[in-house]
Amino acid sequence: MTRRQAILLSGAPLTAQRLAPIEELVNTLEMEAMAQRMLPPAVFSEIAGSDRAAFDRITLRPRLMVNTLGLDLTLDLFGQRLFAPILIGPTALQGRFHPGAEKAMIEGASAANTAVVISANPTIPIDQPAWLQLDAVKQVIPPSAKVLILTAPFDWANFDRLRKATKLPLLIKGIMSPKDAQLAQQRGADGIIVSNYRSPSVPGLAQPIEVLPSIAAEINKKIPVLIDGSFRRGSDILKALALGARAVLAARPPLWGLAAYGARGVQQVMEQLQSELARDMAMCGKVTLQQLGPDLVRIHRR
Amino acid sequence: MLAASPILKAQLDPFREHNRIPKLDELITALDFEPVFHAKLPRQVYNYTAYGVDGEFTLRRNRQAFDWVDLVPNVISHAATPATATELFGTKMAYPILVSPTAAHVALHPEGEAATRQGTTAASNTPMIVSNVASLPIEKIGAAATGPFWFQLYAKEDPELNRETLDRAQAAGCRAVVVTIDQQASAYEREMHDRNLTPASGRRGSTREVKPRTPYRIRDFRLFQDWKLFAELRKMVKVPLLAKGIVTAEDALLCLEHGLDGVYVSNHGGRSLDYGPSTLEVLPEIVDAVKGRVPVLFDSGVRRGSDVLKALALGASAVCLGRVPRWGLGAYGAPGVQRVLEIMQAELVQAMAATGCPSLAAIDRSLVRTDFP
Repeated sequence: MTRRQAILLSGAPLTAQRLAPIEELVNTLEMEAMAQRMLPPAVFSEIAGSDRAAFDRITLRPRLMVNTLGLDLTLDLFGQRLFAPILIGPTALQGRFHPGAEKAMIEGASAANTAVVISANPTIPIDQPAWLQLDAVKQVIPPSAKVLILTAPFDWANFDRLRKATKLPLLIKGIMSPKDAQLAQQRGADGIIVSNYRSPSVPGLAQPIEVLPSIAAEINKKIPVLIDGSFRRGSDILKALALGARAVLAARPPLWGLAAYGARGVQQVMEQLQSELARDMAMCGKVTLQQLGPDLVRIHRR
Repeated sequence: MLAASPILKAQLDPFREHNRIPKLDELITALDFEPVFHAKLPRQVYNYTAYGVDGEFTLRRNRQAFDWVDLVPNVISHAATPATATELFGTKMAYPILVSPTAAHVALHPEGEAATRQGTTAASNTPMIVSNVASLPIEKIGAAATGPFWFQLYAKEDPELNRETLDRAQAAGCRAVVVTIDQQASAYEREMHDRNLTPASGRRGSTREVKPRTPYRIRDFRLFQDWKLFAELRKMVKVPLLAKGIVTAEDALLCLEHGLDGVYVSNHGGRSLDYGPSTLEVLPEIVDAVKGRVPVLFDSGVRRGSDVLKALALGASAVCLGRVPRWGLGAYGAPGVQRVLEIMQAELVQAMAATGCPSLAAIDRSLVRTDFP
């Protein structure tokens, strides 16, 4: 346990790094600064920053005068009913960010009616039913697994072996091209996650939201397409849903919440994303997720 | 050493310093009013006027959009005295400029909307659209000056409340009614910050004990709105009726389908939906859809006479100003409203003269080159 964590657990005030009362934070981006105050620089740097330029090239086309009192963000995904199309993505060793680690993450997520993908490499072993990211080589499927996620890169042989071994919904995370999306679907994946994880520092790399339209067109609704990549605002999520994603994974914002405020921070971040999405849907005249389509957005050249 | 130099200090722009309030006749452009407005008003009042929704993408885009449109003079000669007179719904106007509806003017100046009315009337009878959430009764605002005024409505779910509000506004003499249909569930982060910095007791909205109608913790009292509302309102309104907040051609056509007399293109000055488009970039498609059947009004981000001219060139019948007269009112009261509007009017005349437009009728798309992203 670090000294900082020991101070936190003892309840002693942090004099050098004032943490704002959580009610003062009005969006997920503000949570990042609070996480920075709580974490050693080397740890914070692993969850710092966003690449939001691609979202700034997409505008919304709001349609007015639609009664949206029946606003409904629920969806069925891999046999589960979700409160909203926003999940928490997998991150290894969450004890780096808060002593409560995965347990606090799950607690905050549950308070916000959100499903969490548990990393293949958690700080604390999790045995409650959950979406699990699997190690591509070891492929040990715990009985608690409800949905399995294999993160690229991996061997197709590994995928095929896993596909034969389980009837659980099996997703591939890390798809960035229509060609890979098609392969994943043909080889029996139950869903894909558009994501450029592991390559975020390569300059000029396409953002997931930019490749989503072509992937969604290739998959043509045969299997669910999920996405992650710098989703920080309800409007970001709305854009992805309009461009063909069934749900969005947020990773850094709930980690910022976890680092700064533990489970309460995770809950607030996820609730803010849900509220922003709900607000933006209402203001675009959309009542259900099924009504979202490409006519809701305009993609700009610059 | 350099930083303390009196020579260097003399180079600072006094208009950007708030330790001196300039005299009204020192201000040259509408933008000069904002620092004075900032200097004279409490931070929360300034914030309320300045902010946009969420990350303020649309607020910024509204201004950027004017940089995507160039004015291209299409004649060699200079038009000496351009004719700017126009008519909107039977009201003769010296300039195609109105004042947008904005809330609670008493927060800006003790005389509130009465002063705004006096200032707009003094500025060649500029029509003022009085907000539904004005701080003075409509009767008092109506009686404060002789210039034309319209009324803006936020429709309520109970039709009887709408009837009462509209009856009063029409009895007070409003010449048109604008129904604001955007901003259904907006939330303002700057306001949330301000609320967090001040005691909660007695603050509007802080203790509303109403059962929420969605599970998403959002403002829900305008979610009932539906195009059918206009069938009801149409019966209550004897004067021209418009919808404000249109940013798509589809909704502009629905305005016509529902019998409205005009289309008011607006994104509430970047205060409705963040990541919505700037109004200028969608104006051409809306004008194309409307095909001249009804007037198209325009607002959100207009600060210069050349901005007005660009909107007119892209097809707006008239342009409305929201923050600009608020700056004038907050900084100098009625004379500030008058002066800032006169500056905008004079700049429009200048821009028309410089681009060779002898009259409003001569303004068309050939006057601009657009490069929207």
